[in-house]
Amino acid sequence: MGRFPIFQSPHLDEVERKMRPSGDYRHGFLGKDDRKLVQVLSEDEALVRSLSLTDGAIARKLADLTAQARKGLGGPVVVEGRFRVQVQEARGKIACPWGHPGLYPKTHVELTNLATGERLVWTDLAVHMIEAHGFYQGQGSPYRMEPSVLKRVLDL
Amino acid sequence: MIQLVLGLAALSGVTAVLALLLEVADAYFADYGECRILINDGQKELTVQGGSKLLSTLMDQGIFIPSACGGRGSCGLCKLRVLEGGGPLLPTETPYMEAEDLQNAVRLACQVKVRNDLKLEIPPELFLIRVYRSRVVSLENLTDVIKGVELRLIDPPEISFKPGQFVQFQVPEYEGCPEPIYRAYSIASPARRADTIRLAITRAPNGLATTYIHDYLREGDEVVFNGPYGHFYLRDTDREMILVATGSGLAPILSILHQMADEGISRKATLFFGVRARKDLFYQEELRAIEQRLPTFKNVPVLSAPEPDDHWQGETGFPTDAAKSSIQDPANVEVYLCGNPLMINAAVKMFTEMGIGEDRIFYDKFG
Repeated sequence: MGRFPIFQSPHLDEVERKMRPSGDYRHGFLGKDDRKLVQVLSEDEALVRSLSLTDGAIARKLADLTAQARKGLGGPVVVEGRFRVQVQEARGKIACPWGHPGLYPKTHVELTNLATGERLVWTDLAVHMIEAHGFYQGQGSPYRMEPSVLKRVLDL
Repeated sequence: MIQLVLGLAALSGVTAVLALLLEVADAYFADYGECRILINDGQKELTVQGGSKLLSTLMDQGIFIPSACGGRGSCGLCKLRVLEGGGPLLPTETPYMEAEDLQNAVRLACQVKVRNDLKLEIPPELFLIRVYRSRVVSLENLTDVIKGVELRLIDPPEISFKPGQFVQFQVPEYEGCPEPIYRAYSIASPARRADTIRLAITRAPNGLATTYIHDYLREGDEVVFNGPYGHFYLRDTDREMILVATGSGLAPILSILHQMADEGISRKATLFFGVRARKDLFYQEELRAIEQRLPTFKNVPVLSAPEPDDHWQGETGFPTDAAKSSIQDPANVEVYLCGNPLMINAAVKMFTEMGIGEDRIFYDKFG
């Protein structure tokens, strides 16, 4: 399990509480996923490893695409000649449910692979949660990032 | 190893249960009793039931502190000075605090819980903010993603606001939204129409409030809002005005332009309105009518990605670039910005680098 928790600590309980819909995060980072947070984390960790990827590599790619998209000031930008990426930013900021200092802008990044038409969506906070916590969100969350889909669409 | 893990798990379980019990006890049994809130050295004195967040407590007493996120702690707008009784600054507040805020006992009203008597300082203009009941008289799809909403006031029957200001729209409980939430939207209509306000609202992906407004709101529905708020309004100078808007950011600027036309303010003013393609332009007839009434005003639509069928001969690219190339004398220019935060950040950087001081660049910073 490396740097990730091996049991559902009280802190993880608190994080999970914040992630369930109808709390501070109404859509719920866990969506309709009824697994414990530690299960979601550990199963995704295994999935990422089986794809020969790392959270860091995935997060870096997403952060780079977000930075490129920002140059469009809200309009779509073609990146690397193969992705159309657009970032929309709403008013306000959002905190990481793990509770450490720092706020993330309310972004919605949308990427289309120009060759296949496949689509990905993420947020600045989603990138942080992948990088810092290995969290790809729960099944049914609007921003769930399936590691195998990430690998295929981004050609990682 | 297994024993260690089981031991830790058992300890965690017990701690979690105790923490949960404390939360439940606080929610159901804690009685903070009546608390006195002294505002502005006793200018106002409230007696309230303790236990709720300061933002909602004040709202219940008819005092509305601006908040773009409806008290979720994600916009940092609801700052006020808590001189006594606020308890320690919370980790949820610190990211929003400047050094000056910390020195001046500034807190986020949505994070401070009323547990005892409090002494506050609140800008007096906030006492003028009211709750309005209104009815939806028209809904219009201005573009694929922007909905025009016209509200006729019921009680009170009229509103007084500075063109450029915003209101907080109350989204009621609906499927997927278990309790009412508030979101800030700028007024697009002229201030002379005191019985009606018009809003232009962009659908935000996965946005709770905009999903309600775009998919659930119907003509004839009653809407509650409060306001007006904000410091984005026309300054009384003779400087040339550069106005830059993207998308529904046109709303407050349109209201300001109506004010200029109504009051015959003949300052040189140019609007650079940035959208993607011709189909994304809206309120253009209204802007043309203002151009007729105000010969010193010019509307310049700027398309970032015109479609072939648009046969577009006008400006293309970013509205900020078009605005930059139009400025002859930066020392005599005032800039008004409204639109997506990415554009605003880029524009502030660009205009300040041109030598336009931040005291001459106006926008509502929502976070």
